Amino acid sequence: MGLNPLEHKGIPVEDQVRSWSDLNPQPYDKHAVDPYTRTRVILMNGIEVESILFSHQFARHTDDVDLKQKLALSRRIEAQQQKVVNGLNPGDQTPLETTIGYEQVAVDLTAWLARHEPNPYLHQALDFALLEDFDHLYRYANLYELLDGGNATELTEHLTEITPGRPTIVEHRHPSDDVRGHFETHTVDPLSRLHVMTIVAAEQQTMNFYMNHGTDWIEPIARGLYAEIALIEEQHVTHYESLLDPLDSWMKMLVFHELDEIYLYWSMLQQEQDSRIRSIWEEHLDMEIGQLHVACDLLRRYEGVEPEEIVPAELPDTPVTFEPNKDYVRSVLAEQIQLQADGLEFVPVDDLPKSHRYFAYQAKVNAGGAPSEQVIDANRDKSGREFRDETEGEHPVVDLRDPVSARR
Amino acid sequence: MATTTPTLTPTFATGATAKPGDVVRVDPRRERPGDQVAPGLAEVGLNHGFVGDVLSAMLTHERCGRHLYRSVATRTNNPVLRRKYEEFGGETERHATILEDLVTQLGGDPQYVSPAARAVEGNDSRLLEATYLLAGSVDVMTQEMVMLDAVLLAESMDHANWTTLAQLTESLPEGPVRASFAAAVGDVLGEEEDHLSWARDTKARLTVMQASSKAMATTATKVEEMVDTVRGWLST
Ligand SMILES: [Fe+2]
Ligand SMILES: [Fe+2]
Ligand SMILES: [Fe+2]
Ligand SMILES: [Fe+2]
Ligand SMILES: [Fe+2]
Ligand SMILES: [Fe+2]
Repeated sequence: MGLNPLEHKGIPVEDQVRSWSDLNPQPYDKHAVDPYTRTRVILMNGIEVESILFSHQFARHTDDVDLKQKLALSRRIEAQQQKVVNGLNPGDQTPLETTIGYEQVAVDLTAWLARHEPNPYLHQALDFALLEDFDHLYRYANLYELLDGGNATELTEHLTEITPGRPTIVEHRHPSDDVRGHFETHTVDPLSRLHVMTIVAAEQQTMNFYMNHGTDWIEPIARGLYAEIALIEEQHVTHYESLLDPLDSWMKMLVFHELDEIYLYWSMLQQEQDSRIRSIWEEHLDMEIGQLHVACDLLRRYEGVEPEEIVPAELPDTPVTFEPNKDYVRSVLAEQIQLQADGLEFVPVDDLPKSHRYFAYQAKVNAGGAPSEQVIDANRDKSGREFRDETEGEHPVVDLRDPVSARR
Repeated sequence: MATTTPTLTPTFATGATAKPGDVVRVDPRRERPGDQVAPGLAEVGLNHGFVGDVLSAMLTHERCGRHLYRSVATRTNNPVLRRKYEEFGGETERHATILEDLVTQLGGDPQYVSPAARAVEGNDSRLLEATYLLAGSVDVMTQEMVMLDAVLLAESMDHANWTTLAQLTESLPEGPVRASFAAAVGDVLGEEEDHLSWARDTKARLTVMQASSKAMATTATKVEEMVDTVRGWLST
């Protein structure tokens, strides 16, 4: 049975304010942490960031003082929650190591969502971007070896393979081809709505992280690679946010945000083995339920909608789970590597006419070469081979097989 | 006479269906193609896909109207207005049930949300939003008029919808379809005339009354005084 959030009281929002010491948790040990605990921390930080940014946007569209104050209170709590979650990242985990965690999130979260997504169009959208984030992991893993002599598998622990996806250099599309159609808010399976809201928040956080950390390096190759991939993450945010139905009112969106947070904290605590971190997920779940009640009271008062009209009687009973998706990713690689976008549709790149805006855009941005290719060449020069972690055998796409191992 | 409770917000849980389009990617389990919207209307020679979509839009307007009335009934400071909002809200809910029943009689699906219905919901939900998002800009007395204006606008559309249905009924051949339409229109149109004329008359009455009263919302006027003033409106 999935959770019925309206049946629980949670913690009243007024009682959720925490002290500075509560907001400064002991970080995890980067050498001992379960990679999927790291990905849970990254995901939930992104979820909290979205809840804060959404609430700020909502607040900018009203001057009703009571409403603004209620939003301000819940938002302050969201901001405190964000500090607690993000504070679990240790200071000796470099931005590049964190980045590899971000792309591991992108791969295993997206793949899990795709595997469970009932709407074929949304499923296709997830598969499409999955192959792109999968490629980012490989590019950053090579940068890690190139700059730091690092071995990315010490972070991923072989749970996620590291090998090319849809090559980053070909991901750069004309902006018009990143806009998608959307689900229909009345008919959408609650699971689909949660999936889309979750991936929008995760990709947005990745975009923001690269925006801010792209200049942490002296080496031009690192700065260039972050700039290039940050722009793909912007494409991914454009792509995923298009999938949301804009018909919903601000108030309904507020309720859906709290629901997504509830579903995700509930999901995270199902798998968390670190009891200290698990207790954070539990506490935050109770906090989100309290926040949901505030949002529902606002919905009832201002829009005359009973919360039961839009809140499912039961949240999906399958938790969002971080687990290896190697076979799934390989099957999508084998079948969809050649896909590109033409307007709202996904089409094989060979079906695009030579005059398509895709090629003009590609010619412009890739005019001087692409850092995502240069980083592989540079690491081959330095390490005698590129960095890969292909635990399940050779690459399913012949053209993407390692030239060095292929010669063996 | 309708007795059941209508669906006020069609969702996956209530069995909502919709028409897929280029931009709107409906879950295939919930797709309703245009020729399945109200097939019973084909036998009377109507463009059944079109009329089915229109009925869905009208039904949506009644559903949104129910939400509007609940909202303004909660927020008004005037007991006379509150009673009216509650009374009309109940009637509006009944209209939603009547339209659901009509759609069902025509072989259609009352859970179907047409593209036109989505547009109506867009209008209606923004109309309702406008009564609270900018509430900080207006004083207590003006806020009452903002909510009443929203009711007037909603009832203008509601009335137009039912007079449209009345004209459509006139154009139908004698038979069970016409009888279904006629029964629904006969049941509802009188109430819509009441709703619209009440909203129009009350707007005029409250405006004229305030124009000739001494109570003025200045920066020095206390909120409690204004609430007291509003509470006394229409009391005689
Ligand atoms: Fe939160
Ligand atoms: Fe990525
Ligand atoms: Fe991404
Ligand atoms: Fe929240
Ligand atoms: Fe009505
Ligand atoms: Fe009415």
